[in-house]
Amino acid sequence: MLEFLFNPMHQGWIVQGLFLTVEITLFGVLLGLGLGTLLAIGDIYGKKPVKAAIAVYVEIFRGSPLFVQLFLAVYTVPTILNLQIDHAILAFLVFGLNSAGYQKGYVKGAMETILDDQMQAGLSTGMSKIQTLRYVILPQAYRIVIPSWTNEFCSLTKSTATLGYLGFMDLVGAGLAIKGSNYEILPVWIVIGAIYFVWITGFAKIMDVIYEKKRIPGVELAMQS
Amino acid sequence: MADFVMEARNVYKTYSIKKIKKGDAACNVPVKHQVEAVKNVSLQIRKGDIKLIFGPSGSGKSTFLRCMAMLDIPDKGEIYLGDECLTAPGADLNKARARIGFVFQHIYLFRHLTALGNVELALRQVLKLPKEEARKRALDALNEVKVSDCINKYPAQMSGGQAQRVGIARAIARNPDIILLDEPTSALDPELTGEVIDTLRDLAKEGTTMLIVSHEMPFAREVAEEMIFYDEGKVVETGPPSLFFNAPNTDRAKQFMTRIINRTTRE
Amino acid sequence: MDVWQQFIILLEGVPLTLSISIFSFLIGIVVGLPLAFIRVYEKEISFVVDAYEKIFRGVPEIVLLLLFFFGLRPFFPFPFGNAFFVACFVLGLRSAANQSQIYRGAIRGVGDEQMIAGMSVGFSKWRAIWYIMIPQVFNFSTSGLGSEYALLIKDSAYVYVIGLAEVMTRSLQLAKSGPGDYVTPFVLGAAIYIALTFPFAFWLDKWGNKRKKKIGL
Repeated sequence: MLEFLFNPMHQGWIVQGLFLTVEITLFGVLLGLGLGTLLAIGDIYGKKPVKAAIAVYVEIFRGSPLFVQLFLAVYTVPTILNLQIDHAILAFLVFGLNSAGYQKGYVKGAMETILDDQMQAGLSTGMSKIQTLRYVILPQAYRIVIPSWTNEFCSLTKSTATLGYLGFMDLVGAGLAIKGSNYEILPVWIVIGAIYFVWITGFAKIMDVIYEKKRIPGVELAMQS
Repeated sequence: MADFVMEARNVYKTYSIKKIKKGDAACNVPVKHQVEAVKNVSLQIRKGDIKLIFGPSGSGKSTFLRCMAMLDIPDKGEIYLGDECLTAPGADLNKARARIGFVFQHIYLFRHLTALGNVELALRQVLKLPKEEARKRALDALNEVKVSDCINKYPAQMSGGQAQRVGIARAIARNPDIILLDEPTSALDPELTGEVIDTLRDLAKEGTTMLIVSHEMPFAREVAEEMIFYDEGKVVETGPPSLFFNAPNTDRAKQFMTRIINRTTRE
Repeated sequence: MDVWQQFIILLEGVPLTLSISIFSFLIGIVVGLPLAFIRVYEKEISFVVDAYEKIFRGVPEIVLLLLFFFGLRPFFPFPFGNAFFVACFVLGLRSAANQSQIYRGAIRGVGDEQMIAGMSVGFSKWRAIWYIMIPQVFNFSTSGLGSEYALLIKDSAYVYVIGLAEVMTRSLQLAKSGPGDYVTPFVLGAAIYIALTFPFAFWLDKWGNKRKKKIGL
């Protein structure tokens, strides 16, 4: 029943698939964090048109399925731009842009809880707004954001499962390929599901530990039970 | 011109506050109203001066003090730091604030940094001091306010009195031209105010230029050269402590002094 | 095929998208509420809920859909041979895991006093939960449920992998059958999804705030 696990070719596919899944999620979530932070700052300090543009951006990326966004990017962007772009790069960009739409909300929420007093304190010592953001606000906001960020990581990883249907060799792609060579279907998907589960749950566990480690001594951060 | 370390000329500041109950912002209709916190206030401070602003709460003292540090931008009027007009367009406020120490009522330490980190940060990032020198100056400042025992503690691990003294250390570490203190003791438990007052007394002895908003009357009597009675956005009366403790000229100041002295003696 | 015709074809997928989302949402409520209360009030067995939530947090919806549909169909043609059932089953149970967390926050929001007050008038624990807690829990979970609903609308696109002809599947079919025009079907599809997700979450949040105001919170 599980003989496909001992087939070196299938092992290769699975390893390759896991690698692609991990790679694209990590890059996507980091790009999302960077861009999300910029969007959050823009939304707090920007003028009206900037805020409106950010709201539209967020609505587009949060309002439609990632699946649709991926197809749109992979099938249409090269045609429109008349350029040969590596599909993996497009997919990575879509994940990053999509994730930014969500992470903007988390970062902004975290910033708002600390902004009032800490910004004043920063300015009072002669630091500029940007310096205060860099050295005072963001280090605290990022600590607060870790649990939401972990959730975002989990759901982004799960969304990468769509990649297999765009012809990528991610974990689902590997599963589809193995299924193609006449194995029983159920064990294949159970194994693929288990690999996702271990990776996501393990990563979430690591983030929990980091969250605990990075906690500001004496401060109770957002309750988690 | 540079007679004064700091000067405020005809400063006005009005702001509208929206009162929203905390927690569920969207389900309360915000009540908007205008507060005239500072109405035509002028003030001069010479080097070594210690001036104390006092008056009823909500009268705009804190707003005025924040205007002095340009943490609130005045609507009208000028603020001078030495020769430099801070209210002029294009003034480098960050540079100016680096020369002004500010101590907050609610302390406002950087929560993610230790006491040392709090003091060090601006020395490193604003004055761009090398690491060792920043550390040395931070330690000196913390020593001066007598909190060297909690240099590695985080704000949430300190008592209010310790935290506020770290706040003072953060303000003095840059050797600012002047220190502005916004009710530095009023958020503290009564038994902790003493240690902060002692610190301020030490600073006064060293000839630090200070503008303090405070209701600590015994302290005021001891160190202030001039007391400023502030009410409803205006300076009502100015004079040496002896004036206020014996016979203030205005009725309002008289009433306020009576009330506050009664309260202090009862305690 | 002109844009309008394409649009009509896509619109015909909306009922399916909506019914999958709504059924899943309802399954999510029915399963998620008890999970939340078990997690809060039955500490001895809350590890089961924890494991349940972790599994749905850690396994992609697509893999679950494939597993239950293609994997279990040979063994249990009923009910797993029915793609619509599998879609609602998987997305509903996934939603239950999310909703359980939303309700848990809401239970904290309602507060322990309410529970104690309920028990003080003689209710048993689960009767107090039914009569006192559940009616109030929804007031505190509107914003979370709004985004959960939007999430379900979007995730219903995954059922493309088990061949249900909802909006996403139709976009792809149009794109592949058309004369190389990939842009229009997907842009239209995306617009339909945005239109479906946007107003409801907005409305639900408003309603929740009104409710809270009404009961003085």
